[in-house]
Amino acid sequence: MQDIWIKLVLACATISTMFGIAGLLTWVERKQSAVMQDRIGANRASIFGFKALGLFHAIADVLKMLSKEEFIPQGANKFLFNIAPYLSVTFALVGFAAIPVGDQLIVGGKVIELQAANINIALLFIFAMMSMGIYGVVLAGFSSNNNYAFLGGMRGAAQMIAYEITMGAAIMGVVMVFNTLDLQALVRAQGEYLMGGWLPKWGVFVQPLAFVLFLTAATAETKRTPFDLPEGESEIVGYFVEYSGMKFGMFFMADLVETVLVSALMTTLFLGGWQVPYLHPDGFYFPWGGQVAVGQLAVTVLGVLAFFAKLTFFIGMLMAIRWTLPRFRYDQLMRLGWQILLPASLVNIAVTAIVLVLLR
Amino acid sequence: MPNLTIDGQKIEVPAGTTILQAAEKLGIEIPRYCYHPALPVAGNCRICMVEVEKQPKLQIACYTPVAAGMVVKTNSPKVLEARKTVLEFLLVNHPLDCPVCDQAGECKLQDYYMEHGQYDSRLASVKVKKEKKAFSIGPTVMLDQERCILCTRCVRFTDHITQTCEFGVFERGDHSQVDVYPGKELDNKYSGNVVDICPVGALTDKDFRFKCRVWYLDHTRSVCPGCSMGCNIDIDWDKSRPHTQKKERVMRLKPRHNPNVNNYWICDSGRYNYHFIDENRILSPQYLDKLVPWSEAVERIAEILQSTKPERIGVLASAQLTNEDLFVIRKLFKETLKAHVDFKAPERPGDSDDFLIKADKNPNTAGALAILGAQADAQTIVQKARQGELDLLYVFGHDLVKLFGEETVAQIARKVKLFVFQGSNINDTCGYAHLNLPGSVYAEKDGTFTNCQQRVQRIRPAFFPLGDSKGDWEIVSLLAGQLGSPLSYKDSQDVFNDIAKTVAGFAGMSYEKISDQGMVLKK
Amino acid sequence: MEHPELRKYFDVKGPFAFLRLAQMKRAWKQKNRRELTWWENTYIPSVVSGIYLTSAHFFRNFTLHVLHAVGLLKDIPAAVTYQYPEQPRPLSSRTRTRHRLTKREDGSPRCVACMMCETVCPARCIEITAAEHPDPNIEKYPAEFILDLGKCVYCGFCVEVCPEDAIRMDTGKLDTSEYSRESMIYDKKRLMEE
Repeated sequence: MQDIWIKLVLACATISTMFGIAGLLTWVERKQSAVMQDRIGANRASIFGFKALGLFHAIADVLKMLSKEEFIPQGANKFLFNIAPYLSVTFALVGFAAIPVGDQLIVGGKVIELQAANINIALLFIFAMMSMGIYGVVLAGFSSNNNYAFLGGMRGAAQMIAYEITMGAAIMGVVMVFNTLDLQALVRAQGEYLMGGWLPKWGVFVQPLAFVLFLTAATAETKRTPFDLPEGESEIVGYFVEYSGMKFGMFFMADLVETVLVSALMTTLFLGGWQVPYLHPDGFYFPWGGQVAVGQLAVTVLGVLAFFAKLTFFIGMLMAIRWTLPRFRYDQLMRLGWQILLPASLVNIAVTAIVLVLLR
Repeated sequence: MPNLTIDGQKIEVPAGTTILQAAEKLGIEIPRYCYHPALPVAGNCRICMVEVEKQPKLQIACYTPVAAGMVVKTNSPKVLEARKTVLEFLLVNHPLDCPVCDQAGECKLQDYYMEHGQYDSRLASVKVKKEKKAFSIGPTVMLDQERCILCTRCVRFTDHITQTCEFGVFERGDHSQVDVYPGKELDNKYSGNVVDICPVGALTDKDFRFKCRVWYLDHTRSVCPGCSMGCNIDIDWDKSRPHTQKKERVMRLKPRHNPNVNNYWICDSGRYNYHFIDENRILSPQYLDKLVPWSEAVERIAEILQSTKPERIGVLASAQLTNEDLFVIRKLFKETLKAHVDFKAPERPGDSDDFLIKADKNPNTAGALAILGAQADAQTIVQKARQGELDLLYVFGHDLVKLFGEETVAQIARKVKLFVFQGSNINDTCGYAHLNLPGSVYAEKDGTFTNCQQRVQRIRPAFFPLGDSKGDWEIVSLLAGQLGSPLSYKDSQDVFNDIAKTVAGFAGMSYEKISDQGMVLKK
Repeated sequence: MEHPELRKYFDVKGPFAFLRLAQMKRAWKQKNRRELTWWENTYIPSVVSGIYLTSAHFFRNFTLHVLHAVGLLKDIPAAVTYQYPEQPRPLSSRTRTRHRLTKREDGSPRCVACMMCETVCPARCIEITAAEHPDPNIEKYPAEFILDLGKCVYCGFCVEVCPEDAIRMDTGKLDTSEYSRESMIYDKKRLMEE
């Protein structure tokens, strides 16, 4: 019974944290792009004259979307039309269940893994959930009774399938090196060190090519610039043109939640998850001989902080990419996916396998 | 018949013709200020100077008679230079008033300056200002002496055309000014014409003053409906600027040249008789106290017409109607229904003189006589109606109250089953009529009037009828359609062609042949 | 000129030769475009240099914003934008802004109701009603001068055409926003205010 309560609290904490981050990202994105482009950015919403750097715009946006008319076009399939945005958000959120945000917490002799669901095939679970997310896109385009939305949905489906494969193939290298699909175990395995204890054995160091491939594919998976062909809000018209109010807001949120999810995944797979360099369960052991003792709880807290710091880094990076690069053409997108990234990831698997066999 | 050459073109004209007239025949326009074809020549403005070969100095074209073998140049450098100099001279003391001057846009000073002037001002001293700027010199005209170029057209007009001699030129040199004689006022019956002949803005019309800039005006050729003279006019109207004209469409009337009728002139009562076009109009058919659609109005008349005998129908047409209207009335009421039709009202003769103003104030009496034939006075119909011998009395435009008195009309309204009044403007009779039908005014009609000289003249529609009103013959043919004997006329021209075929006096006429000058009825 | 191959095109004659030349230059550049190296083809250098540029701006501006917040380096701007309602953008003296009617010394309008502006106005937004002025030396004045800013296209023809310098577009006001079309209609009084 107690286990269930613990799991429930953990699940709620994870989901609300991630959702909170995604909500905050609407503001972060506007502000970051503004500062990047020598502007000020949103700074007008105020509560009693208190502006808080425009932070209230996130709330104002939500209020606006909630109070807008929910429009369903004539001839649309109402059931699918209504369910599509929920599918998008739900599957993006469920993925977080398998992400380990920290090391185990020991409270009163009870060991709690800081992972909402410690599944031993966590990686497969996350991928399954991300693939389900495609349904949101396809159904939204399909049910809108709008040719533009339909084409947008088709583009989305083609793009997501293409890059999903690369994504899956890219992480195969990591899985082969660390020999596990359990994410908590995978993070723990990254606590080892290479080069005489100087370099942490993080995914990015043992699988640099896989990292680049995964980063590219993951950006495409989130459907953000330069891979925003399914949406293309202002120019090419995307799958959610017919959506208004909070349903549109949900697609928007799904985008940001996916960004967080992908960042969390990259953190976990390539940047050692909650691992802090040179921090062992009982304190820091520096390669140059220094040693600082740290309490067990503090180690866990440091780990959680490290996870979020890395997460923030990746989110910042994805945002920077989104506001820097221009959109690909559709043929370029397809060529990149099928002709460059996929073969590269297959070669990566082969090379990794050969090296692993030789090292044994 | 001397032969002469003007600008290389040869022409033969009768002896006594001036160079200016000869050039006009060739289509060569020589500028003029003081010259007016209907006035004696004064030759004082000097702008019409032309070069005549073998003559040392330039000659004024308006007063030099042609001679055999003459070679005239109207645009040699010497002539152009002279024109420029004359213009400069005329403009020395002319104020730069154009923004507030009503003449701007139809001002000969502006026109000729753009065509022949275009010099840089050499005037260093201050322009001579007159004592008074704009002041009233009579009930209709304002005078601004500063703008005057002393062409004396107005002086000659009052001396020779009206022979009332109000104007004169006073003082000498650059103090000269046109003015009315002390103690006199310009208040003759043709005073408005001085505004038309003034080539600049010195004389302006009080009625038109500041009402509209002339470039906003549209012109429609028409005929004055004020009396049986049928003076030719231009209706100057503007619909584009409703904010400034209190919903009036017609801005002013101007005489139109017709040597057979009114030459260049028009009387003041005709000139200012246009406010009825937009004021006090009947805008919709009205049965008793309620407005009804055309279909219902026509139905009401048809009901009575179908249930009564011809001798119990009385129609009082009017000499204010066009020939077309009268002909369609004749077709329906006289020929089809065999009703009693008349048009003469016992009107008291109006003001008249031996020039343009005629006592008969109806524009189409001659036409009505030709189409409806001479008949008894309207008195007969009115008497019949009064005694209850009529079921339907159909009156076109006549104000019976004014003609026969209030009591008579009230009695008629009680005795007659249906009392129809069809006209353009509201008058006292409307109050007694059971059914009021809105007819259009002459400015909205296409048609012809026949004046006292038996001359058939064309009027043209300037704009669409106001409100729900319709042309009179269109209403009658609507009624004919309702009665089951439709008249198949497309437009007024169609009706007129039928008149030409049917009525003897009109034989051989058509709108094309009538054109702007009119055609005289055949005896 | 930059390349000998271009020289053979320079004998292009005719009034539009310059256009043809520009077209040829473009075509030549297109044809002789440099092949990308393998490294450039990977797209990575462009991505990196792009992100370097945007990030440089980001960190520079971010630092400046933080410094401004604590009161340092206030004279180095962190953004190039104008904070509009509070900080209007400085206008050039030639900018055509909302109209005004100039006045005589006694405060009456200089306008003589000549209707030039009404005539020239391509949007037909001016409506003048003329009337006789009691002073015969002024003669004519606008009894009503109505300017519908909802229709005005700010072309400035009215100012250009005015013979009396009676209408000007120099109030510096560009933001005539109202809640109804009726209140966009300015009469003589409003045009002569301030």
